[in-house]
Amino acid sequence: MSTKGTHIPERLKIPFAGITPAPSQEKGQDLFPTGNWRSIRPVYRDKLPPCNNACGTNEKIQGYLDLVKRGKYLDAYALIKEDMPFPSVTGRVCYHPCEQACNRGKYDEAISIRAVERFLGDLGQALTRDVVKAGPPNGKKVAVVGSGPAGHSAAYQLARLGYKVTILEKSPKAGGLNRGGIPDWVLPQQVLDREIERLIELGITIKTNVEVGKDVTWDDLKKDYDACVLAVGLTDPNSVRAEGETKQGVLYGLPFLRDIGMGTSKVKLGARVAVIGGGNTAIDCAREALRQGAVEVTMITVEANPQEMPAVEEDLHDMLEEGVELMHGRAVTAVLGNGRIEALQLHPARFSGAINASPIAVDREAKAERFAVDNVIIAVGQRASLGWLPEEFKTERGTIKIDRFGRLGDTNFFAAGDIVQLGSGQPLMVVNAVGDGKRVAFNLDKVLRGESLQPRTIPVDVIFDLNRMNMTYFPHFPRVQQELLPPESRRKTQDEVIQAFSEEQAVEEAGRCFSCGTCNACDNCYLVCPEPCIARPARSNGLYKILVDYCKGCRVCIEECPTGCLEGVPELDFDTGVVRMDTAFAISPGLHGRQAEELRNLGERAAKNI
Amino acid sequence: MPTATAGKKKTVRINGCVAAAQAAKYADVDVIAAYPIRPYTATMMALAQMVANGELDAEYIVADSEHSQLSISHGASSSGARVFTGSSGVGVQFAYELYSPISGSRMPVQMMIADRTLDPPGDFGSEHTDALSTRDMGWLMGWSCDAQEAFDNHLMAYRIGEDPRVLLPQMVCQDGFFVSHITSDVELPDAGQVKEFLPPYKHPYPLDPRHPVSHGPQIMPEQGPPLQLERARAMEDSMAVIEEVHEEFAKIFGRRYDPWIEEFMTDGADVVFFMQGGHAVTARFAIQHMRDQGLKVGLVRLRTIRPYPTDRVKEVLSKFKVVGVIETNMGLGSVSSGGVLYAEACAALYESDRRPLVLSFMAGMGGEAIVRKEFYWMTEKMMEAQKRGKIEKRTHWVGFEE
Repeated sequence: MSTKGTHIPERLKIPFAGITPAPSQEKGQDLFPTGNWRSIRPVYRDKLPPCNNACGTNEKIQGYLDLVKRGKYLDAYALIKEDMPFPSVTGRVCYHPCEQACNRGKYDEAISIRAVERFLGDLGQALTRDVVKAGPPNGKKVAVVGSGPAGHSAAYQLARLGYKVTILEKSPKAGGLNRGGIPDWVLPQQVLDREIERLIELGITIKTNVEVGKDVTWDDLKKDYDACVLAVGLTDPNSVRAEGETKQGVLYGLPFLRDIGMGTSKVKLGARVAVIGGGNTAIDCAREALRQGAVEVTMITVEANPQEMPAVEEDLHDMLEEGVELMHGRAVTAVLGNGRIEALQLHPARFSGAINASPIAVDREAKAERFAVDNVIIAVGQRASLGWLPEEFKTERGTIKIDRFGRLGDTNFFAAGDIVQLGSGQPLMVVNAVGDGKRVAFNLDKVLRGESLQPRTIPVDVIFDLNRMNMTYFPHFPRVQQELLPPESRRKTQDEVIQAFSEEQAVEEAGRCFSCGTCNACDNCYLVCPEPCIARPARSNGLYKILVDYCKGCRVCIEECPTGCLEGVPELDFDTGVVRMDTAFAISPGLHGRQAEELRNLGERAAKNI
Repeated sequence: MPTATAGKKKTVRINGCVAAAQAAKYADVDVIAAYPIRPYTATMMALAQMVANGELDAEYIVADSEHSQLSISHGASSSGARVFTGSSGVGVQFAYELYSPISGSRMPVQMMIADRTLDPPGDFGSEHTDALSTRDMGWLMGWSCDAQEAFDNHLMAYRIGEDPRVLLPQMVCQDGFFVSHITSDVELPDAGQVKEFLPPYKHPYPLDPRHPVSHGPQIMPEQGPPLQLERARAMEDSMAVIEEVHEEFAKIFGRRYDPWIEEFMTDGADVVFFMQGGHAVTARFAIQHMRDQGLKVGLVRLRTIRPYPTDRVKEVLSKFKVVGVIETNMGLGSVSSGGVLYAEACAALYESDRRPLVLSFMAGMGGEAIVRKEFYWMTEKMMEAQKRGKIEKRTHWVGFEE
């Protein structure tokens, strides 16, 4: 009997026939560390989703969509507020570059991000007390000149950093372009009012009817404040340089909208109105003209067709639905009439080149057209009014000269928003101004704290390629559409045209998000790992961990990661022969454990000798 | 589990395949894993009929290969089911990977083997090499020589293999065609007797989603030897259990088998045949005839080869002058350059004080019958060796020599 007199030492005793406790997600297969078989290590590495990347203020869009999907609305609101002071505003007015960038757009339809943002913004509006608090006071005072998107954003971030912020606004009401450039039927005044209140709740002082250069001087700003953010915007309308532009009945786009917004408008439009310009402001003017009583509104553009117009497609669509006519390829060369406008003289024209900065070729040889109108609204862009600014800080194109951090020379003056972005190649839009205000606020803070300003050097990996994700996990699903008021009823009222998402709609739409490149705690890796060697104390991004003692590098988790967050990193760098693996034979106190110890010692000795 | 409708004790005329199927029915198996290959196929045909007509309530799974058959059996047994499977020839070989895992995880799967010669070419005659090639994989193993013995061995093998002291799989073998396809009278027992003899199967650690455990996990190399030692111990411990079970079987069913060795006309014999399986039936007739002629010849038939009854073989074979091993198997390049049974016999005799001369006969190969004339010829060879007192030629290819 060969087994007679044999016994098994205590340390080697294992249960019957090797039957052991089941492997657990926490400890994996306790007995046998197979990590040394691995040549590829799965690594969780969040990429930048294209929406976050495209957003002018880099809102964590994927993040808040994910929270909305889980019903965590307040957390989502708090997350959006890190980068965006007024989601209720941008949820209505933003030209949503995020949606243009959305990877889902290549698959079926982009996520309706703006509608979800509005859902969160309106939720924030309803809160008695906002989730955002002012930072602990640092005793420093900052003036922000202008209360438009850039000024609002800079003031908001500075207050959160602990600054005593004073906003100087030349108009009787705060809001800047948000109030004066955006019609009520896009952004109701009370929504903006509530966001201005939020600024006051943060301890920000808002002084209206204070104009820089008139009521306060450059030196006053220098003397009374530790620093200053200039966010004065573009206030003066461009002219079309046509004869007779001074005739009665000639209006300019932004002042036209601003007066209505401020409640100071005395304009009474005639039945036939022409709008000159093909941009978003021109569209707003044309649609506002209908609401101000115009019967026939014609938009005259130098662009040859709608595709060339620097306008947002859906706004253009909504405008045409309301009955505005388009007339392309013409420039106004004269305003005709006896003291008061009677007609426009039009010549064929061609617009070529980039947004905001291009020559217009007008064919004055051709036969002029006469176009009868009662009013014309000229909306061909704005320019700055910088008479008060020291010459050294002016650029040739009439904006403020800044360095890459938004700073004026080595002063404590910073500038943000349209006033610096005009002609920079960036489209002028609210969200870009907000982002600019935010970044300038952080830079200002660094300067006042004596830190040096460094350009960001960390490379970003934006996930554009759907092949980097596992698309089999995403069934095609149509975009949830926002309701619109019917064109025939809305064209005569100031009621909001675009309707809000219900909670169900917001959740459904957020649920369409791919979460591109970013862990959204879908748990797939945890479930598919055949070992199992993925641990997570709770379902949350950042808490997933590969148990490298056991992971064999089979790549199943990597392949099955729907979002493309998981990546395979080679353990062995074949070029240099460097072994990155530090986990071979890692845990057991047995034979392999001893080997591991010896290997480690060997490595340390070798390192010392070198 | 519903009890099979086995009914009262009765005698039927069936072949070895059907006897094996009847035994599975009486054992009330839970899972049957089938895949066809001659000659064992008839067993699965019979079982399929029984399941189809409601005689037996079992999961009848048609696998896609023998490897799958054994994998299914492994899994089913792990979940606590009593499992029946089987194969022949190259089919036995195709499932080879699973033999050690099944015995290593101590799953008492039962496998019926109706022997078939291994390829090439596609010879479908009988030869023991198929099953014998797996003899060291930790399965209990033995040959029956007729349908009745096959029936009885199947029932006993379940009882032995499922004993908590053993928990090992069993290969219950019979010669293809010579046993599997020759009908004879088989006494089928009363269902109550079987119930008394064979309690329901209970594995100590069945797979159960409510109490998860790992079966067959990866282990450290140093943890392998203890498991091998435990498996070896189970194999050795089974010897006492085998004897107990044969004793109890005799009490309940009235048929008494020596668990290890059948001796036929060995009283006063000088030369004996040492063999397994169905050719022993012919051997008995031949020996009877030779005894009538006054030749001192007898038969020692090995009934269980795993575990191998070393001491018993030594004790029995030491009584004789010459032992002629009838191989019915291939051991190419082996100790005797013939079959593998020679080495088993010789190794058992090595420590004996009175070692007989041992010859190896390559007979019953490729499915050929061993006819009486060949037994006479082999006896002659043994008697010549006895006369000379030494071996001139260790291995003889019967039918190919003068």
